[in-house]
Amino acid sequence: MGEIIQYLLNGLTLGGIYALLALGFYIMWEACKAANFTHGDIYMLGVIVAVVLVEKGLPLIAAAVVAIAVAAVVGAIIERFFVRPFNTDPHAIGWMLTTIAVGIMLESGATQTYGSFGKPLPSPLADTPIRIGGAGIYAQELLLPIVAILAMFALQAFYSRTTLGRAMRAVATNRSAAGLMGINPNRVALIAFALAAAIGALAGILIAPVVPALPTMGALVGLKAFGIAIVAGISSARGVVIVALTYGVIEKFIEGYVSTGARDAVGFTLMILVLLMFPQGIFGRREVVKV
Amino acid sequence: MNAARAQFLIILALGIVFLVLFRESGPSNYQLGLLMRTMILMIVAIGLNILIGQAGLVSLGQAAIYGLGAYVAAWLAVKQGVQFLPAVAAGTLAAALCGAILAYPTVRVRGVYLAVITIAFGLVFQNILVEWLSVTGGSQGLIGIPRGNVFGISLTRPIYFWVVAGCLVFAFVMQYNIMHSRYGRAMRATAQSENAARALGINLAGMRTLAFVISAALAGLAGGLYTFLNLFVNYETFTFFHSITFLLMVILGGIGTMLGPVLGASVLTYIAEVLQDLREWQIFAYGVLLALVMFVMPRGIVGTVHSLYTRFAVKPRGRESNPWPNREISIAPAARADTHQTDMALVTEGLTVRFGGLTAVDDVRLTVKAGSVHALIGPNGAGKSSLLNLISGFYQPTAGDVIFFGEKVGGRPSYELARRGMARTFQNTELFGQMTVLENVLVGFHPHYASNLAETLLRLPRFGREEREFLKQAQDLLRFVGLADYAGEEARNLPFGHQRRLEIARALALRPRLLLLDEPAAGLTHGEIEDLKALIRLLADNGVTVILVEHHVDMVMTVSDNVTVLDYGKVIASGPAAEVQDNPLVIEAYFGAGNLALKRPEPLAAMAQRGAAE
Repeated sequence: MGEIIQYLLNGLTLGGIYALLALGFYIMWEACKAANFTHGDIYMLGVIVAVVLVEKGLPLIAAAVVAIAVAAVVGAIIERFFVRPFNTDPHAIGWMLTTIAVGIMLESGATQTYGSFGKPLPSPLADTPIRIGGAGIYAQELLLPIVAILAMFALQAFYSRTTLGRAMRAVATNRSAAGLMGINPNRVALIAFALAAAIGALAGILIAPVVPALPTMGALVGLKAFGIAIVAGISSARGVVIVALTYGVIEKFIEGYVSTGARDAVGFTLMILVLLMFPQGIFGRREVVKV
Repeated sequence: MNAARAQFLIILALGIVFLVLFRESGPSNYQLGLLMRTMILMIVAIGLNILIGQAGLVSLGQAAIYGLGAYVAAWLAVKQGVQFLPAVAAGTLAAALCGAILAYPTVRVRGVYLAVITIAFGLVFQNILVEWLSVTGGSQGLIGIPRGNVFGISLTRPIYFWVVAGCLVFAFVMQYNIMHSRYGRAMRATAQSENAARALGINLAGMRTLAFVISAALAGLAGGLYTFLNLFVNYETFTFFHSITFLLMVILGGIGTMLGPVLGASVLTYIAEVLQDLREWQIFAYGVLLALVMFVMPRGIVGTVHSLYTRFAVKPRGRESNPWPNREISIAPAARADTHQTDMALVTEGLTVRFGGLTAVDDVRLTVKAGSVHALIGPNGAGKSSLLNLISGFYQPTAGDVIFFGEKVGGRPSYELARRGMARTFQNTELFGQMTVLENVLVGFHPHYASNLAETLLRLPRFGREEREFLKQAQDLLRFVGLADYAGEEARNLPFGHQRRLEIARALALRPRLLLLDEPAAGLTHGEIEDLKALIRLLADNGVTVILVEHHVDMVMTVSDNVTVLDYGKVIASGPAAEVQDNPLVIEAYFGAGNLALKRPEPLAAMAQRGAAE
């Protein structure tokens, strides 16, 4: 029993990371039908900036705020210079390649400057584990799924209650019509990328006290989050979070009952199978093509 | 012999001469190995170029397919003692099979969905390579692969060079043969307009699967060759990073160009050699390079050179369109020799389609006489286009059936209907914009080819005969619509009226028994409409049944034999044109029931004409 609870809790933590990153993909996708393909490296960037700043003597909170701001700026730069010029028609794929290029640069740049030794971020919530029914977990880890769900509700409120949020939804529904109504779709995309990057960095900073900060920590997590967002159908924040949390739990159970080695093979195979069954994603809608 | 073929033969000859000279110049073992590795990468890049450049599908897992070919060959050679030829053949086959499976989702998805599936496939493959120790040797890989041996000749490097070079030449020739054939045209058609491709009898899923299988088979072949060059295989050669590298090769060279993948693979291998001096920063430099290529020359080396060449060296020449329809050209070959004659070209029985709560087409019974011109009219939103889409298989009926020349075809996919002789045009003209005018028409002949894939790839006599025959017919059709002068122009550059003509010429290439025209007069000038009317009558006189959806009432009344009026998805009147235009229900549907209904109804055409005059 304790084992199952342990896997469940750890799975929710992992799923929380996926959820926050997948929400980022959702935000970017809604804004311009493109995304930063290596969003995972933004998550890594947030962590490493925070770790370096704390080492330099900045208080934790200040370091976190600065790291999130840096990530947001990088996100905006990626949109402006690496996505916008390459997202000119609906079948464009240039943005995939340019953002992959950015990811490669971020990751190898971080390896060369920061090094490849994992350092943890100190946090008061990661000192003593909480015991729940025979399972142990740090309060820090519990934060992730909670923050993910909160972020989802906050996002829904933002999209439905604020002028900017409504403008972003308008752009998502019909880019050119939104443009005719005086909304600048480019500005919306820029904000979306900054927002997604900020959330991604937040996810990294939340998990950094319990996993070592490494330049390579982002790539695979980011790809998984993208897969999750696509499998969920990418057009529903709620769907994205549900699928992400589930996927995290599934991974932990595979690790526990099959083997750590089989985790990604089984996980990705599941993703492929689900996409074969639901080509528009589980929560996605099939569009009727008008001829 | 045309220019493309001459170019291809010259490049091929130069390439072969280069390989022979290189091999005979006494290269060092290192140089020999480097060139052979580059040639193997070229084969993968050629395959990927067919997938991306022709079918418009992007694989981000090509390195895994390459790796599959390599590992299957290695495993067979090491663990089963299988010889070189069968081992490489098995690797190629396994990769091709894998390609067919990966192609399955493209039946319904493209773009990022496909990207995610191919990435996931690559990662799963990687994971299996590392974890399945007993078969793959884990992270150490498979070592001690025996040198290849063919008919008693040991494949030492200098001899193996010829094998690899031969395979590269083979891949290069296959690429040309695919690109310049109906298969290449059909693949490009599916990439540029799915709807138009389906309407011309092309099975999208089939074409995409074919592209995937060819590209995977080439990757698998390259993998097998790599195994017997390197004599050990390790998962590190087949990562996501390598998939990106293959993609970069294709883009750097120029997507969809003949020479692109060869140039891209060479340049990138050379750059990789140079970048080794950067040591730790090598990967970073790779990222910079990828971004740089996308910024500076997104069309690749060949594409960039080509556009510079056309800008400075080719003088634009004036082109003229001729009046159409050109009655000197017989369109008899465009009409189908009908085997079974029925009076009714098309009958619909209780045809209904619902979208959510909206019934767009409601229990429609339609009978269209063979050889007649039948118009569908009605106010905006009456369901005319939906009905057309139901008939041509673009929508699935919720209820009811369609009977096409005596055969029940309701619910069949559009490409099957097209092959039975049902052609259509679209409300918003759907051309294959980046293909030439001539190629657009040639795509229409796709279902009429009898030569199969093998005959096409090997350029057997029947392929050549058919290609020449259909080329001539396509040119005739272009003369028929007066666009012969534009044959080499990209379709997207045509003015709007000419695009309409081209779309009709392309539909005629299908040799339709029934032609569906969806608002063909919209956006045309008065003179162009007169030509269109002449064309429709001419087609009907040649035995082609025409269904016409049109708002232009004057045109409808003069060319149609019969008119069916729809309103709110229902048929409100049907019959000879003259009768229908006096029908009070029709007038009410168009103009509402106010004061107008109290007066004696005025014929619709008269109203329309007066409206136009005012």
